[in-house]
Amino acid sequence: MATTKEKNKIKERGKKADEKQKNILEMLKSHGAKIYDDLDNGQFPKFSIPSRSVSNIVYDKKLRQYILGNNAAVRSSRNSAQLRSFTQLMWLAFFANRLTHEKKSSTLRDVYYSSQAFAIEFEDQSESDNIIVDLEAVTSKPREDFHIFPEERSSIFGDLNIEYTIPGYEGKSMNLSNHPDGYSIGPSLTTAELVDTSAEIVIAIEKGGLFTRFVEEQIDKKFKSIIINTGGQAPRSTRTLLKRLHDEMGLPVIVLTDGDVYGEHIAMVIKSGSANAAHLRELTVPDAKWVGVWATDIEKYKLPTIPMTESDIKRCYDLQKDPRYQDGIWKKELDVFLRLKRKAELEAFSKYGLTNITDKYLPQKLELAKSL
Amino acid sequence: MSSIKEKFNQISPSEFFYSNRDLAGFSNPTRSLYTAVREFVENALDACDQKGILPDVHLTIKAVEPEKPDPKPYILTVKDNGPGIDAEHIPLAFGTVLYGSKFGLKQARGMFGLGATMAILYGQITTNKPVIVKSCSDGAIQNQFEILLDIQKNKPVIVKHTTKEVSKKGLSVSICLEGDYSKAGNKIRDYVYETSLITPYASITFDDPKGQKFTHTRFVKEIPPPPTIIRPHPHGIDVERIRRMIVESQFEIPVIDDAMIEKVRKDLGLSKKNLSFTAIMDKAKKKWKTLSRQVRVVIALMSFLKMDFEKLNKIKIEDLDIPNKKLFYWDFGDSQSKAVDLDPESQYYKQLTNTVQGEPLTTFLTKRFQRIGPTTAVKFAEFAKFKPEKRMGTLTNQELVQLSDSLQKFDDFMAPDSSCLAPLGEEPLEKGIKKFFNPDFTAVVQRPPSAYSGFPFIVEMGIAYGGDIKSGGPHVYRYANRIPLLYDEGSDVVLKVVNDTDWGRYKVKGDPPFIIVSHICSTRIPYKTAGKENVADRQEIERELRLALQFLSRKLAAYMSKRGQADMAKKRANLYAKYIPLIAEFCTELAGKKKAPNYQKILDENAVDNTVKPKKDEKEESVIGNN
Repeated sequence: MATTKEKNKIKERGKKADEKQKNILEMLKSHGAKIYDDLDNGQFPKFSIPSRSVSNIVYDKKLRQYILGNNAAVRSSRNSAQLRSFTQLMWLAFFANRLTHEKKSSTLRDVYYSSQAFAIEFEDQSESDNIIVDLEAVTSKPREDFHIFPEERSSIFGDLNIEYTIPGYEGKSMNLSNHPDGYSIGPSLTTAELVDTSAEIVIAIEKGGLFTRFVEEQIDKKFKSIIINTGGQAPRSTRTLLKRLHDEMGLPVIVLTDGDVYGEHIAMVIKSGSANAAHLRELTVPDAKWVGVWATDIEKYKLPTIPMTESDIKRCYDLQKDPRYQDGIWKKELDVFLRLKRKAELEAFSKYGLTNITDKYLPQKLELAKSL
Repeated sequence: MSSIKEKFNQISPSEFFYSNRDLAGFSNPTRSLYTAVREFVENALDACDQKGILPDVHLTIKAVEPEKPDPKPYILTVKDNGPGIDAEHIPLAFGTVLYGSKFGLKQARGMFGLGATMAILYGQITTNKPVIVKSCSDGAIQNQFEILLDIQKNKPVIVKHTTKEVSKKGLSVSICLEGDYSKAGNKIRDYVYETSLITPYASITFDDPKGQKFTHTRFVKEIPPPPTIIRPHPHGIDVERIRRMIVESQFEIPVIDDAMIEKVRKDLGLSKKNLSFTAIMDKAKKKWKTLSRQVRVVIALMSFLKMDFEKLNKIKIEDLDIPNKKLFYWDFGDSQSKAVDLDPESQYYKQLTNTVQGEPLTTFLTKRFQRIGPTTAVKFAEFAKFKPEKRMGTLTNQELVQLSDSLQKFDDFMAPDSSCLAPLGEEPLEKGIKKFFNPDFTAVVQRPPSAYSGFPFIVEMGIAYGGDIKSGGPHVYRYANRIPLLYDEGSDVVLKVVNDTDWGRYKVKGDPPFIIVSHICSTRIPYKTAGKENVADRQEIERELRLALQFLSRKLAAYMSKRGQADMAKKRANLYAKYIPLIAEFCTELAGKKKAPNYQKILDENAVDNTVKPKKDEKEESVIGNN
């Protein structure tokens, strides 16, 4: 039986979710009303859309992430070249409005097919995906706020109580350590309220295989942690969740990746976002820490390596130009990768036994993370 | 060593063409049937053109035994309403190679009437049948001939000649020849079709061997002015031509025979009685101004011979050697050649030199060539380093070459006279194009006359777009002296100029429905081959073609961009009509309204508004980073 205090808490949390939904709907309504008035006054409606071109993406040192600059373009329905994309965006706003209103969720692919019910044509899904990003840029809200989610591929495990807000499950709670395969991070989890946890740290790990190993080895208990499998580059819903765990629950986030340049960048994206999502400011965990596998670890732990490919090396040089890689371990490890021209995977620790990574490497790294 | 002696034979022209018939387009049954049609139809049209008659030409091709497979004998008949040919000329005109009425300098479809005779010759050697010619030149009597060619002697053999009464002038020629209509049919139909486009004042019918009838009625009632015969232009001349012109211009020394002596007596007003040499000369001096040139020359000769009429009867003038100042004559009495010295101081000396040495250079130029006045003649003489009064008869071979070269090089001659040309004219050309293709856009141009090597020419061109024209253009219709050119288009100068054009620059893109009609008129078309199907890329002609095409292309571009703008506005209006209602629908629900906004106003305004230019599409550039 829940106490009165707990009941009130649930109510409050429900109120918060309703508030968020109301805000979104209000914002869509005001955009719609402006366009409605233009048409009614015999004018071609238009709106301003922040430019997402490379030249307008700048690194904000204060925010510690990439953001869009001040350049904006006018998209006008008068311009026949823009009329089509204008209409597509209007449709998407209309569709997002319905989704939000009815509390239904959709995927990127679903949006692409849904358009066909309204005589809106997208050449392919990448065109509709692009329009979705346009809507994000115009409203400065992530698509998840409009109930549009990517396909799920990452998962979470650990002692964390959550409470669903999605229709049909409102108020229902769940502990995320109940299922040893972990819980996939989908719309219901992303929008759920985070109630409480005994964990003191969040460990994000790049690979599903290692995630399973960590669960088996009860890393959640041994190190009081919540384990998240990013499945490579972390999806936006996962990044949203990481941010919420950090901001709402006050948990530090550490990232474990393969020992290569892509792994380093996976950690960086969690920390300070991607240029692709420069129009959004709610996806980053600037305090997140990358603990390995570092290039220096390859030498230190004498890990089995594979040679870097041409594209690995090219990527290194590209990242050297990125303002975020100008100092600290980011610069140092990149330089070492370039010197070694070799890379290692997380699984490389298996050379020293299946649990070596959890028994030896992880504790050392967790200790190290405190000083980072 | 071989003991066989080389035998040298002179062959007749018909013998030559018999052996080299592919030179004139009679290489195989397909090509021969087509060429024969062409030659007869062109002769018919030429005959009418020259007399200003609106041509009615009837072409019939009939298989002798229709069920036989091709190639097989066909009877080809071409009938016209032209002036006909007088009976006395018919055997020679149709039974001799290189006999005709087209040797003057003016534009005609054929040059020598050679092709028609070739067709007859070809018909005879493939079927052994005579040509049948029916001609009426007076509107009353028709002469009908059946003629075979004696190829070796280049002479006609009249098989049959009959006459009958008729009421209309005209000529009908009928030959039997081996042909392949199943293969040549397309070309022949194209030929008739294309001919009627460039000859809009003619009615042409064609009865083909399969029983089909093709009728092209005239749609222009006026015949373009016929060309005139002109004197040659100095740029189009060679040494041989000048030599012949000099000979034509020379006045020969008259033969002093009884008749001539009688004429001199009469002109001097002398009685029968004989006068002494001195008395004759006295009389001549008094009457000099009234004497004819011939008589003056005889008197001049007598002044040096110092003979009376009695003695004159007994000699014959042999030669007048002006450089050595001697007069040679044959004395019948002594049976030997004798000479007397000429006294250059004598007043008669000049009379004689004028006679044998011909006209002075300036007179020769102004009288024998077109468009040279006395001033130009003097300027030219200075340029060519000749004295203006230089006698043409005194030119050495070397000087002749020098003169010929200078005539080519002198730039101040006026452009050739183009009155010998008969372009169709812009209006009939445009009418024809409109009638044949029903296009959305037409433009025609006639370039001013120009010349290559002294041969005047005019380029006419038309361009048409859209309408009934098939896509995949430009389709080029080539004409030379009103003859459609159907074969060998690959190497033609017109095609070269068309292919050199960057049509994208003129806003013509993709597979345009688009035709070009090109007509070159000249006293001599520089065909590449004797088959007369493609024009060589003479620089001057290429330039005129290019200018004509550029002029027309600019007009086409203007049309295309206008059309493009209209298309664009229409397209835009369609886009608005498609998308604005959708936008209205979506924003109505977004704004939480019940009634759709009134967007009809902007649709109505922008259906006709062409002024809105689409801005550059603001497409996002590719973004860096992952995710």
